Amino acid sequence: MVNLTIDGKQVTTSKTSTIYEAARDNGIHIPVLCYAKKLFPYGACRICLVEVEQMKGRLIPSCTTPVTEGMVITTMSDEIRKVRKTVLEFLLVNHVLDCPVCDKGGECDLQDLAYEYEVTGNRFEGEKFDLPTDEENPLIERNMNRCVLCGKCVRVCDEVVGFGAYSFINRGFETKIATSFDRGLNCEFCGQCISMCPVGALLPKPFKFKARPWQLTEVDSVCGYCGNGCTLTMGIKDNEVETIRFNDKTGVNDGNLCIRGRFGYSYVNSKERLTKPLLRKNDEFREISWNEAFALLVSKLKEAGSKAGIISGARLTNEELLLVKTLTRAVGTGNLDHSGGECYKGVSEGLFETLGIRASTATFPQVENCNAILAIRSDFYETHPVFGMVVNQAIRRNEAKLTVIADKNGKLGRLPQARTLLHKPGLELNVLNALCHVLIEEGLTKTEGVDGLAELKTALAGYSPEAVAESCGVDAQALKETAREFAAAENAAVLLAYGLPYTAYSKELAIAAANLALLLGLPGREGSGLYLCGEKANSQGAIDLGILPDKDGLGVVPMLKSAAAGKLDLLYLIGEDPLVSYPDRDLVAAALVKPFVVVQDLFMSATAQHADLVLPAASFAEKDGTFTNAERRIQRLRPGIKSPGEAQTDFAILRQLLDLLGHVAPATVASAFAELGREVSAYAGIELAQVGAQGYVWGGETLAPQKRQLVPVAGGQALDVPYQLLVGSALYHSGTVSVHARGPQAVVPEAYIEVCREDAKALALGDGDRIRLTAQEGAIEAVVKIDRRLPQGVLFAPYHFAELGLNRIYQGQPAIAVTPTKV
Amino acid sequence: MSETAENLKILVCTGTGGLASGAAEVVKAFEAEFEKHGVAGKIGNACDVNGTGCRGLCANDVLVDVCMPGQEPVTYDFVTPELVPQIVEGHILGEGPLEKKVAGPYYGKFLEKQQRIIFSRCGTIDAESLDDFLAHKGFTGIRKAVKMTPDEVIEEVKKAGLRGRGGGGFPTGVKWSFCKASPGDYKYLICNADEGDPGAFMDRSILEGDPYGVIEGMMIAAYAIGCRNGYVYVRAEYPLAIKRLQKAIDTCVEKGILGPDCMGLGFEFNLRIKAGAGAFVCGEETALMASIEGQRGMSRPRPPFPAVRGLWGKPTNINNVETFANVSYIFYNGADWYSSIGTDGTKGTKIFALTGKVKHTGLVEVPAGTTMKEVIYDVCGGILNNRKFKAVQAGGPSGGCLPEHALDAEVDYDSLIKAGAMMGSGGLVVMDETTCMVDIARFFLNFTRVESCGKCIPCRIGLKIMLEILERICAGEGREGDIELLEDMAYDIKKSSLCGLGQTAPNPVLSTIRYFRHEYEAHIQKKECPSHSCKPLLHFTVIEDKCKKCGMCPRVCPVDAISWEKGQVAKIDLDKCTRCTSCYDACRFMAIE
Repeated sequence: MVNLTIDGKQVTTSKTSTIYEAARDNGIHIPVLCYAKKLFPYGACRICLVEVEQMKGRLIPSCTTPVTEGMVITTMSDEIRKVRKTVLEFLLVNHVLDCPVCDKGGECDLQDLAYEYEVTGNRFEGEKFDLPTDEENPLIERNMNRCVLCGKCVRVCDEVVGFGAYSFINRGFETKIATSFDRGLNCEFCGQCISMCPVGALLPKPFKFKARPWQLTEVDSVCGYCGNGCTLTMGIKDNEVETIRFNDKTGVNDGNLCIRGRFGYSYVNSKERLTKPLLRKNDEFREISWNEAFALLVSKLKEAGSKAGIISGARLTNEELLLVKTLTRAVGTGNLDHSGGECYKGVSEGLFETLGIRASTATFPQVENCNAILAIRSDFYETHPVFGMVVNQAIRRNEAKLTVIADKNGKLGRLPQARTLLHKPGLELNVLNALCHVLIEEGLTKTEGVDGLAELKTALAGYSPEAVAESCGVDAQALKETAREFAAAENAAVLLAYGLPYTAYSKELAIAAANLALLLGLPGREGSGLYLCGEKANSQGAIDLGILPDKDGLGVVPMLKSAAAGKLDLLYLIGEDPLVSYPDRDLVAAALVKPFVVVQDLFMSATAQHADLVLPAASFAEKDGTFTNAERRIQRLRPGIKSPGEAQTDFAILRQLLDLLGHVAPATVASAFAELGREVSAYAGIELAQVGAQGYVWGGETLAPQKRQLVPVAGGQALDVPYQLLVGSALYHSGTVSVHARGPQAVVPEAYIEVCREDAKALALGDGDRIRLTAQEGAIEAVVKIDRRLPQGVLFAPYHFAELGLNRIYQGQPAIAVTPTKV
Repeated sequence: MSETAENLKILVCTGTGGLASGAAEVVKAFEAEFEKHGVAGKIGNACDVNGTGCRGLCANDVLVDVCMPGQEPVTYDFVTPELVPQIVEGHILGEGPLEKKVAGPYYGKFLEKQQRIIFSRCGTIDAESLDDFLAHKGFTGIRKAVKMTPDEVIEEVKKAGLRGRGGGGFPTGVKWSFCKASPGDYKYLICNADEGDPGAFMDRSILEGDPYGVIEGMMIAAYAIGCRNGYVYVRAEYPLAIKRLQKAIDTCVEKGILGPDCMGLGFEFNLRIKAGAGAFVCGEETALMASIEGQRGMSRPRPPFPAVRGLWGKPTNINNVETFANVSYIFYNGADWYSSIGTDGTKGTKIFALTGKVKHTGLVEVPAGTTMKEVIYDVCGGILNNRKFKAVQAGGPSGGCLPEHALDAEVDYDSLIKAGAMMGSGGLVVMDETTCMVDIARFFLNFTRVESCGKCIPCRIGLKIMLEILERICAGEGREGDIELLEDMAYDIKKSSLCGLGQTAPNPVLSTIRYFRHEYEAHIQKKECPSHSCKPLLHFTVIEDKCKKCGMCPRVCPVDAISWEKGQVAKIDLDKCTRCTSCYDACRFMAIE
């Protein structure tokens, strides 16, 4: 700690603080323009200049200057005021001053500073900027005439996002921020730059002329898309979410969001939302009242009893999931599961077998201090972009070494000094086994208290780096170096993402990842960890609450098979669209024929169109409750808007059902939360009030494993075909909900099939052509997108789009043998 | 100038200045002539034609020394290939020096007050020859240094009193000790050769004339600080310097002088060149490091200082070319010898680049403490065309203008700052009575405004506004209060800018206002340029007494602004006049003013 004096006040602060931070933490205001908490010190705007007695003769930028013992600082004097005012006058000479129509008006740093320093006139004169605005992209408006060149957008895109869309070009007064070759912006559209812009130079296009900042009601909640669980702030006006706003003060993600979080909100306001319960009569749906719907459903549930099956989505809150579970008991069925069955179930089973727990062992911020990071699954950044930004920051700030085990190249592999162990599709297990092999052979393991080493060693005999290099196409030397690097790292993290499009060998993958983590001694080690990253906002909550079949019950796949065979009388699908998102469409379609099908959702989904009863539910923006994210952090959702029409939250629907079934259920979210502890011991003793802005991490920052059991798993076999298709997630979408949101749709509006340049050339395909992929089970057709990240002979298709019918050929296999033809 | 030689030696200045004046052809001519006459056979000695570094008197290039065995060398200036046969036939094979062609007494005077230490090898040895370097004390400094501990080496540099020659004048030994004290076993050494000041070219001359000397200085620093890798950041506009330095580095690597075990002395040092892309701001050390890293050359805030967190985030020591060149000589001759030269505050010699309205432009090396007057009048022969001296801009665009009464200032760091200028890199731009001081301030500000990296607001926008005010003053549109506004904003820009560029850029304006305020006032109040240099303020009139009614001026006027009839005094229509000065130049009777 360092002692210093600021404006006569004695202050003690950490020795890594800057003068600005020391002042801020002690309630002393210093104005800033180019400073941002999450970026490296920059020192461009010169607004934060102060006087330091030990550095007389010049003014010191407080946001870049570290504190030293005994510093005596003055934050305001006549001279400081004058210099700051001059700087503002300089800025305003060229600034367009179109404040009346600028969407930033009212929350603009330049406006606020000019007001604070009473810049009523200007001693200087000069030309106004007259640069064209960048209108080419659908989401981010760039008006460089308002730019003050604080560089925050350039820096955040580089330091946090790791994309690097912007750079300074030209020199002197002509300096401006531009994209490559000064063309239109074409990037990930995460909108981080918008959040950082202190003025109106970067604005969210969908929000243009929607509301003045002061007209918005701000509600902090949790993003409803992926398992990262980002805090986001909804800007609400007239019961509509008008924008998602930046907030680096509250929450867990430093205000970092991806395109889904920032631009994917509009589906909650959609006019296509379901507003009334619908009952099928012959081939048509008829609106019915909730009373009719409940009466019908209760009687059907009672009738079905143990022949009822419930499949839940993983975007329900913990409290809702608790009611789902209670419902199975009230109905008397053990047939319960959530998204994708085998995948979610498999991953948690694999982890349970090895570590005795079913969750990540550490929290996200710890990754920032890791020296070595292993990301398993090439689409890791696509499924969990904001966690990917944490990884990027570990690299930038801590010189962490990143290794990606992937079947295609990707964003993570392009980060500084990242290494991609590019393998043939379907061979992640082989690569992980090879890493374990090196650790054991070279005596690099930390296996105190670990069981099963001898068996594992025997089982891994065939996975020498050379052998795996031969079968997988990975460089043997790179495998060895990776293993050594991880063994030498003080802190290391192993990240595994899972989700609906990645269902193959999910249990084995979790085991293999856990084996590696155990050999490295990561689980339970402070600062290190194994991270299990679920695809959906409350995937972890669903696993924690055990939304899984009981010992006699059926999981998703057996349930669907049973239903198809006419052995189930009722299928209740809550927040799921299996016809689009589950593997094996034929099985799902067959399952929807015989039983009484109830779908509870936001939209008339593909599955809902086959339902007998459709119930209108509520989105995350309308809910109170909690999600548990992939780091075990329980976070509070807060309702920002009212549901459209008669739509109700899943909680309200389920509670009424339980009432009608004569079952006592918690009446409020708070009482349901209190009940969670009874269902899940890890949640016991946690008060809802403890779930503050930072959430509450159950099990603590570092979760100790219950056991350390190495379990041998056999590797996979590569497909020996000229062309194979990979199924996965696209960065701009998440599940099937985002296709109803204008933001993601503006960038990726339709299904596509990604082809590498070489294959495109061989097949005479150009961007925008149509391609047909014929597999054993059928064929799919979509437009071609040519990219550079795929190896030759490997194609990729995202699974979010109903019209593609991808699951007609996707049965859950790691890769699909296909024959591509130009249409 | 050169020592007597055993062989017949012809030393031809092949620095950039020499080459521009045709030195390459002169060398060829000598070789051809020797071949033709079989000179070697005739005088019984081998004949070498050596290309050397710069000799300083660039105005009189090509300079050639003829060193006959056993005789004092003779220097010729303005040598052309056509003159070579005369020299060979008349001097070498004939009776003796061609008196008419030998450099005049001014050459002796040019050298008299100089003390050419750093330049002692430039102009005498073959810059590209390692053997020549070794024959002139080469690499004896580093051999001496490694006999000491690194701390003793730094102590020696501190004792010598060497201060950084890049402009700031920070004590070199102290700088080294900071970097040495920084934790970390990976440190970098950088030589700043991004010499961007208009009119400064001493670093280029050193690199061209004595590249090995710079390498040796860097090796001593690397040994003392513990740097294993070094960069020389040379601007790409110096192709010859890059070529010669690269050749020297290659030779050193080949001979094991640089590499994992330098000269077998037990320390590692690798060196490479990074060519800069021509941004002035990259001479600023943090921008320079950003540039080496492949980033845009923009300054970074200090602290953290490079000694703590520099290139690639590692502790880095960065010195100027001339500083490293000085280091070698400190170790050749000892700290005591070095500190005996110069003044109390500034030890050793300093090289100045003189340009502008001075008779002998070029590079001069004088001991610190020589007065400005001596440099301009005694060494460089005073003002061109016998005009009156007005001012000298010392320290490049960051420095200041000194008027005549400040010429007694000694050239050392502290005296120059006291006088309102700065040492800077050592550029001296001499101005005579025809130079308008407002225009000069405008010129330098135009330079810095264009070269600003654009990062911080005061430098990016403030300089442009200052420039616009100066432009309007020069255009006769200055307003009451402009001078005060300039002073005021100059103060704020100096106080608030991020790096040295912005902090010093207003200096030329402030110093010209300080010493030549009346010129500013004349521009603003009387709409007159006292030096008749600002075109928009020129009012051409015909002086009736002097006009011989010859009719020349209407003929040369490109816009027919002059009316004249035979036997009449010409008349200039000021509305039509574009102030092109054609009439002024054409009038043989000085009848137009």
